[in-house]
Amino acid sequence: MQKEIEITGLNKSFGQGASAFHALSGIDLSIGSGEFFTLLGPSGCGKTTLLRIIAGFEEPSTGVLKINGKEVTGLGPSKRPINTVFQSYALFPHMSVADNIGFGLKMLGKPKSEIKSTVAEMLQLVRMEAMADRLPSEISGGQQQRVALARALAPRPRVLLLDEPLSALDLKLRKEMQSELKRLQAETGITFVFVTHDQEEALTMSDRIAVMSAGEILQLGPPQEIYNAPVNRFVADFIGDTNFLILRVKEIGNGEAVLELPGGRQASARLPESISPPVGSRVTAVIRPEQAEPTAAGQGEMQAVVEAATFFGTDTHLHLLLDDAQGFVLRRQNRPDQPSPAPGTRLGLSFAPGALRVLED
Amino acid sequence: MARARFSITQLPGFGLIAIVTFVMLYLPIIILVMFSFNEGVSQSRWEGFSLQWYQAAFNNTQVRDVSLRSLWLAVTASGLATVLATLAALGTTRVGRFPGQTMIYALINQPLMVPEIVTGIALLIFVAAIKVQTGYTGMGYLVAAHTAFCIPFAYLPIRARLETLDHALEAAAADLYASPIQAFRYITLPLMVPGILAGFMLGFVISLDTVVITEFVKSAGQDTLPTYMLGQLRRTVTPEMNAIATLFLALSLVIVTAFFLITRTRGR
Ligand SMILES: Nc1ncnc2c1ncn2[C@@H]1O[C@H](COP(=O)(O)OP(=O)(O)O)[C@@H](O)[C@H]1O
Ligand SMILES: [Mg+2]
Repeated sequence: MQKEIEITGLNKSFGQGASAFHALSGIDLSIGSGEFFTLLGPSGCGKTTLLRIIAGFEEPSTGVLKINGKEVTGLGPSKRPINTVFQSYALFPHMSVADNIGFGLKMLGKPKSEIKSTVAEMLQLVRMEAMADRLPSEISGGQQQRVALARALAPRPRVLLLDEPLSALDLKLRKEMQSELKRLQAETGITFVFVTHDQEEALTMSDRIAVMSAGEILQLGPPQEIYNAPVNRFVADFIGDTNFLILRVKEIGNGEAVLELPGGRQASARLPESISPPVGSRVTAVIRPEQAEPTAAGQGEMQAVVEAATFFGTDTHLHLLLDDAQGFVLRRQNRPDQPSPAPGTRLGLSFAPGALRVLED
Repeated sequence: MARARFSITQLPGFGLIAIVTFVMLYLPIIILVMFSFNEGVSQSRWEGFSLQWYQAAFNNTQVRDVSLRSLWLAVTASGLATVLATLAALGTTRVGRFPGQTMIYALINQPLMVPEIVTGIALLIFVAAIKVQTGYTGMGYLVAAHTAFCIPFAYLPIRARLETLDHALEAAAADLYASPIQAFRYITLPLMVPGILAGFMLGFVISLDTVVITEFVKSAGQDTLPTYMLGQLRRTVTPEMNAIATLFLALSLVIVTAFFLITRTRGR
């Protein structure tokens, strides 16, 4: 895969000396050409700052940023083959939809005829042909979003940066725009760097995700890997729902640990390469709520009592108490022939090998 | 049961105070306008409708001269003030925070805080000294004084407009390959236009209206409409003055109305 963006040893701090604030520390990543890459993290973790550095609105304090193999330090935003879809859209309020879309081409000095045909093509791409002559204030939020996309795509940048582009839309429109964005990316082949704080959005849309916290990248990988093999407590907690269990190590070997479960049975769990806890110590292990199954009492790996059941339409969350009083949430798909167990019911829990994982902590 | 919310309109005497206020504000003006149409010379006894005082005012070459001078001065001074205020507003809102920014605001707004009479006397002494040194007695002094006086009035609406403009718009322009000059030409400037027009009109009305500054700075034969009217009032008061004042009022009303219409249309 050809590298479109390469970032090595990047740091960014605001302010000087002791009061300096480190917004980004030790960022290393490379983004492939045509990739849908997502920066995911809670508000304030530095996503926008990283995006602004890539776009050229900020300079890194230290580190190297290469775009298409060339170092771009010192080049302003108007000198980089990158366009941005701003969080607030930033449509020019005094220009029609068509003039907004054509602005980049006009600034590049393209001939009128070419601008006209590209604008028409972009309007069609985002399905806004009928709105070409409207002002931004005369179209809906979802439509403004499409215009912002078309405007950024029109100059055919190598990379498109999107800063939480969907956060202002309501749920239904957001789902619609998610597939719209995937379609646009597939059709144009442009590299997308997408910022979101919504883990579900990140999981459904991305080729790869960088999970960020407090200015650092904690884990980088495809959605399945991030979800199934979170490296630490923060990632496990931030992505999806998770049961955390404190368990004693009985044996170590072969990249796995044998753990003692509540109730006395044993199960093996994958161990991250970075740690090797001593036998007898306690570690944090995780199981996703949908990766365990209820069985008859006395069977399965662990025993539990139902405390409460919450109905969610497609599934029910069973809040359980394990034998050693640790809490556990189980997600079970609803079926008409399987009523949810009443509080106080005893049941067993079984889980597939590989569902239990030890965290770095 | 919920108590009705407190409302100032329910206080005893509210209606009376409101009526007295409106009478104080508008009755003198209504009387002034009314007697501009009086048949006779009296300012207190109605003798029938006539346009003779308007005719007299139009035929009075002195009135015509001072009116044209006032308009010319107001356009020139307010125009210059608007250009300077636009630059000042860009400097104070578009380059990020810098040390001494609050100080700069205070300096720009100085004429709003210093009593006009103080400015007037200061200008009188200052201008007199220059006149002695250079011998120049043209309109330059009035233009300079009015321009300085109009700057804060032009500055306020322009700055207010700029502050409502999202910085992301300029960032978006740069992102779409616009040079700083192109970003200003195609994005910032067109979006500032309502503020600039409002600033110009406010400056225009202020310049048209000021008596004190003009009185202290003008040389012989440089009367503006307000200083001319003041001079005339010291002698005889005929309803011709009412007619001139009424026309003056009409002009101000037109401009102030236009100002409100322009500032009300947001984002175009
Ligand atoms: N220009 C700046 N000066 C000082 N601090 C800043 C500046 N820009 C961002 N920050 C700080 O850097 C941190 C990361 O901000 P940001 O990148 O906007 O986070 P995110 O987009 O992930 O919510 C925040 O704590 C923010 O206050
Ligand atoms: Mg942000």
